[in-house]
Amino acid sequence: MKKYSKQILCWMLILIMALTVACSSNNNQGKADAEKKTEKTEPVVVKLAGGDFGLSQPYTTYSRGPGTYKVKLVFDSLVAKDDKGYIPWLAENWELKEDGKQYVFTLRDDVKWADGKPFTAEDVVFTFDYGQVHPPVGSSQLLMKEGFLKEVAKTSDHEVVFNLSEPNPNFLEAIISVNIIPKHIWEGVERPDEFTDEEALIATGPFKLVDYNKEHGTYRFEAREDFWGPKPAVDVIEFVPVSDPVMALENGDIDLASIPVDSLSRFEDKEEFTMMDNLGVYGTRLRFNIANVDDFKSKEFRQAFAYAIDRQDIVDKIARGAGVPGSMGILPPAHIWYNDQVPKYDKNIEKAKELIEKSGVTPGEYELLVGEGQEVRLGELIKEQLEAVGIQVNVVTADLKSRDSRMAEGDYQLVVTGHGGWGRDADYLRTRFAGKADGWSSGTPGYENETFSKLAEEQRVETDEAKRKKIIMELQEVLAEDVPEIPLFMRTGKTVYRNTTYGGWKYEFDHHESTHNKLSYLE
Amino acid sequence: MLLILLFMAVFAPAITIFPYNRSSGPALSPPAAPHVLGTNDLGVDLWSMICHGARVSLTIGLGTALLAGLGGSAIGIISGYKGGFFDEVVMRIIDMTVALPNLPVMIVLAAFFGPSLLNIILVLVLFSWAAPARMVRAATLSLKQQPYIQAAAHYGAGTFYLLRKHFLPELFPLIAVSMIRLTGRAIVAEASLAFLGLGDPTTGSWGLIINHATSFSGIYFTPFWKWWLLYPWLFLTMLVTSLAFLTREFEDALGEKRI
Repeated sequence: MKKYSKQILCWMLILIMALTVACSSNNNQGKADAEKKTEKTEPVVVKLAGGDFGLSQPYTTYSRGPGTYKVKLVFDSLVAKDDKGYIPWLAENWELKEDGKQYVFTLRDDVKWADGKPFTAEDVVFTFDYGQVHPPVGSSQLLMKEGFLKEVAKTSDHEVVFNLSEPNPNFLEAIISVNIIPKHIWEGVERPDEFTDEEALIATGPFKLVDYNKEHGTYRFEAREDFWGPKPAVDVIEFVPVSDPVMALENGDIDLASIPVDSLSRFEDKEEFTMMDNLGVYGTRLRFNIANVDDFKSKEFRQAFAYAIDRQDIVDKIARGAGVPGSMGILPPAHIWYNDQVPKYDKNIEKAKELIEKSGVTPGEYELLVGEGQEVRLGELIKEQLEAVGIQVNVVTADLKSRDSRMAEGDYQLVVTGHGGWGRDADYLRTRFAGKADGWSSGTPGYENETFSKLAEEQRVETDEAKRKKIIMELQEVLAEDVPEIPLFMRTGKTVYRNTTYGGWKYEFDHHESTHNKLSYLE
Repeated sequence: MLLILLFMAVFAPAITIFPYNRSSGPALSPPAAPHVLGTNDLGVDLWSMICHGARVSLTIGLGTALLAGLGGSAIGIISGYKGGFFDEVVMRIIDMTVALPNLPVMIVLAAFFGPSLLNIILVLVLFSWAAPARMVRAATLSLKQQPYIQAAAHYGAGTFYLLRKHFLPELFPLIAVSMIRLTGRAIVAEASLAFLGLGDPTTGSWGLIINHATSFSGIYFTPFWKWWLLYPWLFLTMLVTSLAFLTREFEDALGEKRI
């Protein structure tokens, strides 16, 4: 055996050397590319990490940020968001009338569809009427489902009136979720979710989708010269497949990536890279299926989970310190209406055990559904933490889309899910905990609390901001007491981009991703 | 080397201080006392994980080798000895199994049946019985023609007597060698499945440690790979190479004895 050991050593050395050489040659290649790019000033091509999120059309996109925000590159809504608040978009301005029960939007008159036809009030009326029959992916339930929208009517070619059944402080947010589609194309479409012709992508937005490959998850958007609004600052946006964001960013395969804390030092002192702080509005939560698992009906038992799970430990290990523990009142510390007075539920094993006893539940074994990658590790950490108080958990993994669909069907016991949107208007507390289950993200099956539902309804129609804020604060207290779910942590950390390619990244005031913001690509 | 690894696997609880399935220290600490090989992202001691992973790897390796080696040999002997229609059928099945690309089919099967230790062993067995069966059948055929066997048969020796007294002792070294070879293959196959995320997530096999390490975003840009990734890989390589050498030594010894 001994005579071979030297041989092995040799081979290993050769292997390692070969790998190192391969890596470093890649690096040089990347730098050379970057230099070439800066020499040529035009056109600006921005490359970002891809992945399949459906065709960028309001009805075929996937209901997660990377999907719905791509639609917004091609399509426009009446109102948009910048880093401070709501801004006029297809609508030049709007007015509130009749005690908040009527909105009057004045539309821009210089907007044309990509096929040259003019954009008018007809299209807006059509979009909302059509949406009542076929609600677009990710559109507001308020507008499309709950009978809240009484009538949408045009008063002239460039003026539309929305009649509402009651005032709502959240109306503009809802309006943003609806992208306007051209009447002359969609009129005859019976199955919008199967409408994938080239025509389906005719819209008013700043970019057109010229290439989409479902299998590879690649997209190519090109700027429209004749766009009505601010001039596009980026000529081409490409979404390409990426396996490791750190390597891809270094090699120049992509131009922006959220970089894990441990690799940040590689970008710190390089001139061509700039760092941005992420907003802490991407959260990961642990949901109980209260409807399916009787044990979870006990409030004390759920509280025991909250005491048993060490959220700070999760931040340290899973997010590598780049995050903040979730607030038990759900609204995260980065939210404008965050209530910092709610109970913290710091890790306390004794307390957890006490509560389990008090709840009268004999902890069984529960299935914990998690996604891929880091979420598997998160699942294992939670399992370990829960074992300490005698709760057995079985970690089951599924890919993102099957996990989402199992959540939507209520086919789980415990599930971990991460998503953005935690900085949005606090009305999401209502859709999450008092609303009907719809899709993977809203509703909490089996959770009912009369006080909560009543308060949630009150804030929905409360237009006085100070009063509404007070109700939201109360709602958070109720949630912190009831623990219908456990917000584990909010991701913060840093995003690094290559400033030699493009540096105009901007955030929407309540969203965690600058690449999702269409204003990022405009001047 | 193999003995050391066997020792590690058998005495895993005795030679490790820390639990292998829960955290026992700070996350991602480099190799230093008391964590001799460092810890992973959850703060689990790597030495403990590797020792316990050795159990999983060896269980899978030996389990597969025993089942496939013995089962395959039995089929080989019977089909070689009996011949005829049964032989034809077995040979065609063997051809089919050998012709199928192993890993892709294994991935499909593993994904389909769901990951559990037993399933993985069964799937591996399904693909590895053919090689020993074919080899043993060929040897049986040639043995059948040997004068002393024919003589024994003439003197009225029964089938089972012949098998026990003459065939098995002659074939045993051959079976043993193919079993050792299978062990190595099975361990690698399990590691590849685990690496691809199709292994049993609760076993903590070496492939799984490697899988978790590589899915840690940007691990190659941090110093962590120097222990988290390197050590399980090193042990895996050591085990597989030592098994390969063992096979070769046996084959050499065998070569001198026969043909």
